[in-house]
Amino acid sequence: MSDPVRKQLEAHPLVPVVGEIIKIVEETPDVKTFHVTTEHGKPFTPMPGQLAMLSLLPVGEAMFSITTQGEDHLEFSIKKTGMLTDALHEAEVGQKVGIRGPYGNGFPVDFCKGKNMLFIGGGIGLAPVRSMIYHCINNRDEYGKMQIIYGARSPQDLVFKEDLFENWPKVSDCEVNVTVDRGDDRWDGHVGFVPQFIEELGPKPENTVAIICGPPIMIKFTLPIMEKLGFTDEQIITTLEMRMKCGIGKCGRCNIGSCYVCLDGPVFSLAQLKNMPNEY
Amino acid sequence: MKILNKQKLKDLLNSLAADATVYAPVKQDGVIRFQAWNGDQEIDLTDNALLPPKDLLFPQTEVMYKYTANGMRAEITEVAATAEKQVIFGMRPCDVKSLSMMDDVFLTKGYEDDYYKSKRENTVIISLGCNEPAPTCFCSSMGVDMTEAEGADVMMFDLGDKLALEAKTEIGENLLASASGLEDGSADKPAGGQCQLKVEPDGLAEKLAKMFEHPYWEELCRKCLGCGACTYLCPTCHCFDIRRKNIGEKGFQFRCWDSCMFSEYTRMAGGHNPRPSKKERVRNRFLHKLQYFPERYGKVACVGCGRCLAKCPVNMDITRIIKELGEVAINE
Amino acid sequence: MMDLTQKMRDKARELLEKEEVKYVIGWEKGTFWYQSPPVFISRPEDVDKLVWDQFCINNLSKYLLDFKHLEGKIALFVKGCDSRGINRLLQDQQVQRDAFIVIGVPCPGMKDPEKAKGLSEDKADQLQLAEKCATCTTPNPVIYDELLGDEVAAAQVDDVERFARVNELEQKDPDEKYDFWKRQYDKCIRCFACRNVCPACNCRECVFDQAEPEWLGKRVVSSENQFFALTRAMHVAGRCIECGECERVCPMGIPIMSLNRKIIKDINNLFGSYDAGMNLEDQPPLGKYDVNDPEEFM
Repeated sequence: MSDPVRKQLEAHPLVPVVGEIIKIVEETPDVKTFHVTTEHGKPFTPMPGQLAMLSLLPVGEAMFSITTQGEDHLEFSIKKTGMLTDALHEAEVGQKVGIRGPYGNGFPVDFCKGKNMLFIGGGIGLAPVRSMIYHCINNRDEYGKMQIIYGARSPQDLVFKEDLFENWPKVSDCEVNVTVDRGDDRWDGHVGFVPQFIEELGPKPENTVAIICGPPIMIKFTLPIMEKLGFTDEQIITTLEMRMKCGIGKCGRCNIGSCYVCLDGPVFSLAQLKNMPNEY
Repeated sequence: MKILNKQKLKDLLNSLAADATVYAPVKQDGVIRFQAWNGDQEIDLTDNALLPPKDLLFPQTEVMYKYTANGMRAEITEVAATAEKQVIFGMRPCDVKSLSMMDDVFLTKGYEDDYYKSKRENTVIISLGCNEPAPTCFCSSMGVDMTEAEGADVMMFDLGDKLALEAKTEIGENLLASASGLEDGSADKPAGGQCQLKVEPDGLAEKLAKMFEHPYWEELCRKCLGCGACTYLCPTCHCFDIRRKNIGEKGFQFRCWDSCMFSEYTRMAGGHNPRPSKKERVRNRFLHKLQYFPERYGKVACVGCGRCLAKCPVNMDITRIIKELGEVAINE
Repeated sequence: MMDLTQKMRDKARELLEKEEVKYVIGWEKGTFWYQSPPVFISRPEDVDKLVWDQFCINNLSKYLLDFKHLEGKIALFVKGCDSRGINRLLQDQQVQRDAFIVIGVPCPGMKDPEKAKGLSEDKADQLQLAEKCATCTTPNPVIYDELLGDEVAAAQVDDVERFARVNELEQKDPDEKYDFWKRQYDKCIRCFACRNVCPACNCRECVFDQAEPEWLGKRVVSSENQFFALTRAMHVAGRCIECGECERVCPMGIPIMSLNRKIIKDINNLFGSYDAGMNLEDQPPLGKYDVNDPEEFM
């Protein structure tokens, strides 16, 4: 973390540092990736899976997963769903934004070391997973085989197309499998829902960790298939979304039982989730 | 020990107000609440204040920072200044106890909330022991000693026409040494009264951990109106919202109390709400106090002040609920 | 009243045993002798919880909204004021008449539980009527499927008595009025108890709960509190059934009924005498158009 930013966030954890959008990538008609930095460079160096509060000062503040990071910036892939995200989608390069973080536990990178990595994403759910994919790519020797299974509603809804079709297939021992719910004239890839696609591909559970993120309906149908393939609850890791305001475990609303998603999450293993109240 | 003739209460408060804002219970428009002493109010030490003094450390509405924003530009112009010295006079032992829970929330688990911390560090507490608890009080079941408030700088007792004050900290000693209207003296500490309501919360958290899906919640929630009176009168409820207000190019970010009883509290931008109905919200409120808080901070988030049960329009009574939860059968 | 308690229990048992209803909503004894809060009975063996005494002050009609999607019927007991709440919900098309059974209970007026605090039970007879009951004009239910007990004589409450607090406030000059209401609503903690208990506040989603657009700012400051108070008062204008529950449930003791009654008085003066919720036929004055409506502002 850059020193001035760290000092400010330690003194006033709820006050954002002002930063700037330096690049905007249009991923799909309703998803854009924003590259954010500050005058002190990258505001902090998050672990994969961690979160940050991003704000347009007059509009509002919300928690987003950090999709990945560069040397000098953080990336957020954001779907248009409400007032703040609508306004962000209108923003242009040079827009000042507020940023504070990093928050949450992040993916269990040490637990994953030496294991084969299976990444399963649906729709915008690939955004948080992407941070772990890049972590594994950047530390390729420490992880086994990588397999990425990703699906979206249609070809135009696929996010990170350059990664999916150019960058990731070139990574050593990395298999990328993409599907869409409905194809179009130009689509010659797989058509079908993510859960069935997983079943067809039949990834092996031995010495593997599966990181899954996607819409609730996808998760719901994916979990029984994972079980059928022999994955245990400890081998399945996901990341949750809750409404958050403070991000530092004070304001109360993101609790699931006695755990606060902003502090103790957002990453949980299925084994952990099964021990928590079903209220998310 | 110092003795104060109640006739000289104004002298005492005036001298305390010389270098701090003094807050004391004042009855105004039918409501006893802590108000800034202006030299000329009627102090009411009969019943506990309807609103706990938590808003002096955690205001119902609090500006966090100011900014200017226009088009691409945005700048934070001012972060709320640190707090000034304040004395809370006449805080009851239950409310003093609630500060230990507020401290847990705002000052531990990795982050210190600077807004709370600066107020907390600048606050001196003069606690008033209770001789006669209200019918709704059950503090003695919640580990409160109504004659001795742990965490108070000065402990005070009502002797009828006099008050006895005893310093409990160095800050309290210095405060009393420079205060007016006090005489050296001694008095027997009043015995404190007996709470009519009693509960037994020990071991409940462990049982509640197995009761999330229990049909009890479905029945309990029926009469609840879903208002926030209980949460806003509670000295330990601390949930808040963060919002902003824009006036032209300028604006400010503020936080304000929020209530887990409100439907909007957990509703997400896409419309999904993990606690969509009264049942989930009522359950969360009681589990938060009786199970989640104990699991997280090692104590029940209730001090037995009885405000919620005194003011609940439908008599949702936490003492009854604790008893019923203790008695209800569970399938293990 | 003991007699009526037994009749209530018998009726509830009959309805539940015959499985005509899923729930019976009535009153039970609360924590203290001066409390008789709402209770929801679903099993015949629980009907003995039901009581009818001088503390059954809660208006039960609003609970019908909680059972909108229930398969099966609800039965509820209503006093005179509560029954006007039923008409309110029916007239506002919030509930279906065939979804519930109304059992009327003539009401002699409820005692003030606030005044009973700290008293022993043997002093119950000395208690005054609750403020909301002191000016009641409708002790007998105006809509019911069955009436338990005999109708009681309506107290002769004239408009002078009914609007006494309004008349007093009207004597103030504008600055004094503003000062009075500012002080009152500066106490408001925005718990929304007044709205949540009110049978006239029956919108599926209340504007005050909407985050987008944010009609009501969440800051608890004079301007927002006054906006809340006035918006709610005007929203129930001509629809308030005068059950007085808003004022009773307000933890901060804000005289909300003075505001509501001021509007009632003005509406009566402008559009002729109207009592909301007395029947289903007479539409609220602000909810209908009449060519003879006054139009001095035109």
